[in-house]
Amino acid sequence: MSPLLSVENLRIAFPSRQGPVEVVRGVSFELGRERLGIVGESGSGKSQTGRAILGLTPVTGKATADRLEFDGIDLRNATPARWRSLRGARMSMVMQDPKFSLNPVMTIGKQLMEAVKLHGGQSEARDKSIAMLEAVQIRDPDRVMAAYPHELSGGMGQRAMIAMMLVTEPDLLIADEPTSALDVTVQIEVLRILDRLVSERGMGLIFISHDLELVSTFCDRVLVMYAGQVVEELDAAKMSEARHPYTRGLLGCLPKINGDVRPLPVLARDAAWLE
Amino acid sequence: MALIEIEELEVVFGSGGRSVHALRGVSFTVEEGESFGIVGESGSGKSTVLRAACGLAPVTGGRILIDGVPVTSPRDPAFYRRVQMVFQDPYASLHPRHTIDRVLSEPLAIHGFDRREARVEQALVEVGLGKGFRFRYPHQLSGGQRQRVAIARALILEPKVILLDEPTSALDASIQAEVLNLLDRLRAERGLTYVLVSHDLAVVSHMCERLMVMQNGAVVEQLTRQALRDHATTEDYTRNLLTASEGFTRDPALQT
Amino acid sequence: MTAEPTRPGLSQWLLSEQPASRNQARLGQAWRIWLAFTRNRLGMVGLGIVVLLVLVAIFADVIAPYDPLMGGDLRTARLLPPSWDHWMGTDDLARDIFSRVVHGARLTLMVVALVAIIATPIGLLVGTTSGYFGGWIDVVLMRITDIFLAFPRLILALAFVAALGPGIENAIIAIAITSWPPYARLARAETLSIRNAEHIDAIRLQGASSGRIIWGHVVPLCMSSVIIRVTLDMAGIILTAAGLGFLGLGAQPPQPEWGAMIAGGRRFIIDYWWVATMPGIAIFVVSLGFNLLGDGLRDVLDPKAQQQ
Repeated sequence: MSPLLSVENLRIAFPSRQGPVEVVRGVSFELGRERLGIVGESGSGKSQTGRAILGLTPVTGKATADRLEFDGIDLRNATPARWRSLRGARMSMVMQDPKFSLNPVMTIGKQLMEAVKLHGGQSEARDKSIAMLEAVQIRDPDRVMAAYPHELSGGMGQRAMIAMMLVTEPDLLIADEPTSALDVTVQIEVLRILDRLVSERGMGLIFISHDLELVSTFCDRVLVMYAGQVVEELDAAKMSEARHPYTRGLLGCLPKINGDVRPLPVLARDAAWLE
Repeated sequence: MALIEIEELEVVFGSGGRSVHALRGVSFTVEEGESFGIVGESGSGKSTVLRAACGLAPVTGGRILIDGVPVTSPRDPAFYRRVQMVFQDPYASLHPRHTIDRVLSEPLAIHGFDRREARVEQALVEVGLGKGFRFRYPHQLSGGQRQRVAIARALILEPKVILLDEPTSALDASIQAEVLNLLDRLRAERGLTYVLVSHDLAVVSHMCERLMVMQNGAVVEQLTRQALRDHATTEDYTRNLLTASEGFTRDPALQT
Repeated sequence: MTAEPTRPGLSQWLLSEQPASRNQARLGQAWRIWLAFTRNRLGMVGLGIVVLLVLVAIFADVIAPYDPLMGGDLRTARLLPPSWDHWMGTDDLARDIFSRVVHGARLTLMVVALVAIIATPIGLLVGTTSGYFGGWIDVVLMRITDIFLAFPRLILALAFVAALGPGIENAIIAIAITSWPPYARLARAETLSIRNAEHIDAIRLQGASSGRIIWGHVVPLCMSSVIIRVTLDMAGIILTAAGLGFLGLGAQPPQPEWGAMIAGGRRFIIDYWWVATMPGIAIFVVSLGFNLLGDGLRDVLDPKAQQQ
């Protein structure tokens, strides 16, 4: 079976006073109907990679790739009309903070139904929306449908956001730090919902996060990014066998509830990693 | 006698029908030289405890004692020389138009300290930045470097107590390790007392000998680091937090 | 206009990431703002016009070919059209209009500078105090501001001038009194957004007094938006001054105030168009210059505009 998404030599550059600066430098990977984690620290280019796949690179930036194919469709020269038919319908994105991604003056229900209507299905929009809210384990979907975003807690807002992104049943979901703004207990619940949707609907998921431990327990496969490059690709289960010093350093520098290493090992960055 | 005693602390924001009861009778004590952690999720009131202690939140009930003496309201200058705070967001806690030099010299000027030049340079060296950073602006520094400046600012009045409000939650993991190590070293060198607020059990377990779990403005329980490691907790809430902190576990029902 | 070429050593010193002294840091910061500003063409045009106004005002005696107050021969030199001898023609008292416009720059500049010096600090002080303390102080100060804002500016200025008596000094005072309320509003809004910032909490925890916090920490952050607003208001201030002059309540004859000059030329605007037009063009160019400068400053100083 051909992969759902294949990316080859993706490069993203932004102009600066000293000439263009590449924030993503030759990233390649393939994604099937699986959970792929992209891990890195701030500035590693992980978010820009996710955005470029959806064609959401900021206008000042320039994304190029040798290959950027989604289900056989070449995304590199896609027209705006093509993008509109893909985004939302077949590929979606969940952002970090629901507060900034939901329209504050529209009820959740209206926003959800709008998403359904945009991609066909006029009449059953409401039923579908309610079913989706139930799928993300919102116990009181009618109340949430009538609520405005500010009336929901962070966890509820993020679930509503996920519902909105999934109501069109996309094939690919890109989740950019979807749970970083949430409390740990809520975070696990939200992940569980994502997990179920992936396995039930056979969706491809790209999970972008700074949290190596979380990603390694949640995803099937992990890409570790550093300074715009993938330094290591690993099976999530084999995290302890990581070979790249950066990955090992990232794992080592986290404080553990049960560990008592003092001082904590500090990551020594090596200029050679930039090669 | 404990260095910090908090008794039945109550904080209510706003008044009338829209008031929010942020703290409901919180009590704890911190001994001199100890590091005490406060853990909780957002809205648990953990940061409010610190803000109330140093006068940034309105105390509506209960007592705060330092060295057995109730604090005055507003706090007197001597209080600020004993108790200082490091904030969560290093991007928001430094004035964008002030150089590092000004950030560090201002408290010295307010409290009439001598040898200001030397003290500023020494503070920068102590937090591992060096004198070259003295005349930079915050926007020329990375998040970790800014947090080091914030720590230097808290230390420059030579306080005994440092209140740490999520000091590393805005930082990358590798930078977090550096900042935690720095805090650890400073405490050992200067015999400081820490009260550290965090949502991250691992950070609290690494930094603190004793901790308190909070929920909805009230204390769930207090336990020692060893009890936390042994999962020797009596409360379900703490147990949930502990499980959640260990990462994602797949739903057994879906394991096919 | 582009940045003048500087020695690489100086530019490097200014842009150094590791300044070695307070002054180097400050100059470096100013230099960065200047570099950003020079990239804005229209802003530079505005700055050019304003600089030109200042130069003309300083060297008015040298530039002006004739006396601005004493006219020539009333029999032969009245209401002459623009020519090589009189670039902008002469008026009904045989005075050279170009010389009067040049000397009028002094009055205009004085009005603009004095209003800025009087109104800006009042606005800043009222606004930051009101925003920082909140509560009843806020209520009292903002209601006073509202009272001033409730009247159209020219009408209020007219009332003040009527009370104080006509004259350029009183016109300046009247304009200053009427122009601070918007700055107070602006400074208050900025202060409200800064008041609960962590860096203000931090300085509070250093034991700083309210005065020190307002002056040293809040005002510098409100400053840029107020400066932008004042610069953009300059055109309005010039027009108000000219309006008062036109109505005979500002500068008194024979002072070469641009508004009063237009009023003087109004009687024969059909036959001798240049008498009213020339000072009008001067008002237009200077107002435009301040507006362009204000726009340029906003692009550089306003963090909200930068994030695009």
